[in-house]
Amino acid sequence: MSVRNVLVPSPARILKSEDMTDIEKHIELEILDKEFAKRFVYKPGQFVEVGVMGVGEAPISICAARKKEDLLELCVRKVGRVTNAIHRLKPGDILWIRGPYGNGFPMENMEGSNLLLVAGGLGIAPLRGVLQYALTNREKYGTITVMYGIRCYTAMLWRDEFLQLFYEGDKNNVEFFLSYEDPSDKQCYELQCERSDRCMSGVVTKLFELKEVKPENTYAVICGPPIMYKFVVQELMKRNFDPRKIYMTLERRMKCGLGKCGHCIVGSGRNMKFVCKDGPVFTYWDALMTKGMI
Amino acid sequence: MTNTQKPKIGIFSLTGCGGDQLMILNLEPILLDLLSRFEIKDFQEASSYKEEEAELDIALVEGSVSTKTDLEKLKKIRERSKMIIAIGDCAIGGCVQAMRNGQMSMEERMRKVYGVDVDYYDVLEPKGISSYVNVELEIPGCPIEKSQVLHAITSLLHGDMPEEIDYPVCVECKLNGYPCLLVEKGLPCLGPIITAGCDARCPGLGLDCIGCRGPIRDESNVAAELEVLLEKGYDEEYILNRLRFFGGNFEDIQKLTKRISEKSKGRRNSHEEDS
Amino acid sequence: MYKVLPKENLQSLFEGLRKIGDVYAPVKISGLSHDFRKVNSISEVDLEYTRTMIPPKKFFVKPRETLFEFDEEKLQYAEVQNGGGLNVILGMHACDINGLKVIDAAYINENPDKYYMQRRESTLIIGVSCTPDEYCFCRSMGADYAVDGFDLFLHEIGRGYFVRIGSEKGLRVIEENSSLFEDASKEDIEEFKENERRKAESFKLELDISGLQDMLDLAWDHPVWEETAEECFGCGTCNLVCPTCRCYDVADYVELDLKRGERLRRWDSCMLRKHGLVAGGLNFRPTRVERLRNRFNCKGSLVNGLLNCVGCGRCTLYCPAEIDFVKIMKRIRGEP
Ligand SMILES: Cc1cc2nc3c(=O)[nH]c(=O)nc-3n(C[C@H](O)[C@H](O)[C@H](O)COP(=O)(O)OP(=O)(O)OC[C@H]3O[C@@H](n4cnc5c(N)ncnc54)[C@H](O)[C@@H]3O)c2cc1C
Ligand code: SF4
Ligand code: SF4
Ligand code: SF4
Ligand code: SF4
Ligand code: FES
Repeated sequence: MSVRNVLVPSPARILKSEDMTDIEKHIELEILDKEFAKRFVYKPGQFVEVGVMGVGEAPISICAARKKEDLLELCVRKVGRVTNAIHRLKPGDILWIRGPYGNGFPMENMEGSNLLLVAGGLGIAPLRGVLQYALTNREKYGTITVMYGIRCYTAMLWRDEFLQLFYEGDKNNVEFFLSYEDPSDKQCYELQCERSDRCMSGVVTKLFELKEVKPENTYAVICGPPIMYKFVVQELMKRNFDPRKIYMTLERRMKCGLGKCGHCIVGSGRNMKFVCKDGPVFTYWDALMTKGMI
Repeated sequence: MTNTQKPKIGIFSLTGCGGDQLMILNLEPILLDLLSRFEIKDFQEASSYKEEEAELDIALVEGSVSTKTDLEKLKKIRERSKMIIAIGDCAIGGCVQAMRNGQMSMEERMRKVYGVDVDYYDVLEPKGISSYVNVELEIPGCPIEKSQVLHAITSLLHGDMPEEIDYPVCVECKLNGYPCLLVEKGLPCLGPIITAGCDARCPGLGLDCIGCRGPIRDESNVAAELEVLLEKGYDEEYILNRLRFFGGNFEDIQKLTKRISEKSKGRRNSHEEDS
Repeated sequence: MYKVLPKENLQSLFEGLRKIGDVYAPVKISGLSHDFRKVNSISEVDLEYTRTMIPPKKFFVKPRETLFEFDEEKLQYAEVQNGGGLNVILGMHACDINGLKVIDAAYINENPDKYYMQRRESTLIIGVSCTPDEYCFCRSMGADYAVDGFDLFLHEIGRGYFVRIGSEKGLRVIEENSSLFEDASKEDIEEFKENERRKAESFKLELDISGLQDMLDLAWDHPVWEETAEECFGCGTCNLVCPTCRCYDVADYVELDLKRGERLRRWDSCMLRKHGLVAGGLNFRPTRVERLRNRFNCKGSLVNGLLNCVGCGRCTLYCPAEIDFVKIMKRIRGEP
């Protein structure tokens, strides 16, 4: 009997590895095994286990919509062993990938609706995929509102890309809001002076002061550091959002990505979930039903 | 660390038996291979060659800080090293030398051992090096495990921080399928609170763990160990001494000691009042 | 079809099994413990055992194993070959057979684990009946009887064993050793039923599991977690001896040439610190309070309709802090 070994990673060559900030790199990969590449169909919100030989594996969100069969984009923040090792590698070097894993965002469900994307820091990475998908299928979605919270100007990911949306998104019915946590940040302050209707200092939830968010016909999609969820959800609930129309993507320790190793377990006996397999995208309704989720 | 340039390494001893350096020398067959990958700038037990001021990528430090001279030496090492690795319990928590910490002052101890006239000017209460300087990695053991050193060194050469073990010996007992000495025989095994990495060598031989690798920082439930062993009929003093043997500088063990000594003082006082 | 294996034929059956492959069976290893070990003679085997400390899941998900050998120059992760050939596990109890079904649910889901599958398929499981002790509560968990998940099941009766056949593989064993087996008589069947009834009545420990999932959910903030956390070592024993715990950790080891090495996996436990830790120091289960709560909730939850605990009693018996699984479950139910 021949079962495919789901734990075997497949090699991918680094095409590009560029510093976006001090700690984050944008990495473009080419999947070398073309058979594997064919099977490697993904949607926004899914992730891959990325490995460095001799170091280990780490789950990383796919940060762009699928454009070409054997291409893959990631944004990696260096925080530990594997991510540091990924940062050491150069174009031409090999990373090892398994996936795609997780459920991803149900882009079809959201068709015909407005989108409200709320991201904090690195949380913009999976939402960038959502955004790209929606922009390529622009006619399928209503108004797209993006709220992006950063610490300071230099911590802003895909700066050129997002600044362009910040300035010119409206042409395409995209409203881009920016918040920054460091009030002394000069460049952000300048942005705020230019567009005080789109930028302010503070945490990302402050942006709800700038934009009158309405629950009608709108899906909210959230990603950010764990503490952010409660506060964003609070704002949305104040505005009577339907908990089933709030999507969020969660983070937990992961080793397998396949519902086996158990690390990403969350919930009570009533409702036990594996973030890797049942998620990482959940609705706020799921969170209400699953203890300890946010 | 780049592959083109050999990492510069120094190996230093503070107060201890030098056993951990010996353990590194004991890696013999692969020692040469291992050392050839470093540029050795300082290694007391292997050669007399020293470059006192050279910058180091890695400083391996064994032994506790027990004198002011140790402390001076340590501070200098810190200044010239990108990374300090504490090797062995002495360097981590003072080990056996710290047995009486928090129980008896240094002066009392010196008097007890050497008589009143000894000059204890240079002496400090034995502590691990992280009490004084920032330490990037700790490799526990008394002495350290060869396999762990080897793993740490290969990881570092590969460019990665070695993964630290932060679970107790019981885990290794179970992975090996060793019957539990505490549960089955009531032996005073310290395994439930002691850092694994020895592959449960002693329990595997039928010997209860005496804690030579030290408790797990911010994790071990030493109060529970006391309770469990009391329950099994062991004497409080005995248990405490056992806990202190390798873990005297461990915060929770000190707290426990204090609590108990206050309690017994209280008991003594109330006895006195009674009579 | 039911058969009977007369006692005097057990030895010959054992020899027959040895022709199939290596035979693993319960062996006494200490005062309180048995272990499944490779055996060469039936005299080494103790089929009267109550439980092994380490459950037989160890044959399928190994405590420690090499997943791959990698080589940077060859640019590959090479699978490690499984010995191949058939193995026999003789003497598994119903709880452990049912426990394996829980592990199956995780390892043979939509993405089957190749190693696990191979081992599962190349292992013949022969169950044996047992007598509960004061730690067993498998009956409460519906795991005291194995309906499937075995190839043959031997139920002790006066003249030998009443044999149930659980699979074609099991049937083949009977066919190949047909001279050792007799047809079950009416008396044999009556005796089997009587023994089952007696076993059912002999349980000293019980746990009411109706609504357990909601009881656990409702006990999220129950003081029992904090109180138990005071006594608990967080040593992981309870998970590592559990026949239904499936968690594992993975680590890479490089050789000194920095090119070759191994990817290892080992059993993990949610009572250990790293289980919920993520980079940067955030821990989703920072203290023993959250870890105990997670463990009990996990054990009380259902996977594919199967309860995640089979009531084998190991976690209570082998806990160095004598933390009692059933007592805690009763407390969260509000039982006195
Ligand atoms: C669904 C998902 C998507 C993610 N997307 C991204 C992304 O797009 N970009 C990015 O930079 N980071 C992302 N992360 C976080 C990233 O996985 C961790 O930063 C990374 O695992 C840290 O690994 P390390 O070896 O460098 O750190 P170490 O602290 O050395 O961790 C050791 C191991 O623990 C596990 N682990 C540690 N932290 C995490 C964590 N936060 N999440 C899951 N496993 C962890 C991994 O197996 C890791 O190899 C994501 C996490 C999840 C769960
Ligand atoms: S023998 Fe000691 S270390 Fe081993 S499981 Fe028992 S208590 Fe733990
Ligand atoms: S075996 Fe007991 S002491 Fe150890 S983690 Fe489990 S409950 Fe805690
Ligand atoms: S939780 Fe305890 S009683 Fe239940 S199956 Fe696991 S070890 Fe056995
Ligand atoms: S109880 Fe803990 S160790 Fe066992 S399967 Fe559940 S999460 Fe994993
Ligand atoms: S990451 Fe292994 S079960 Fe979810």
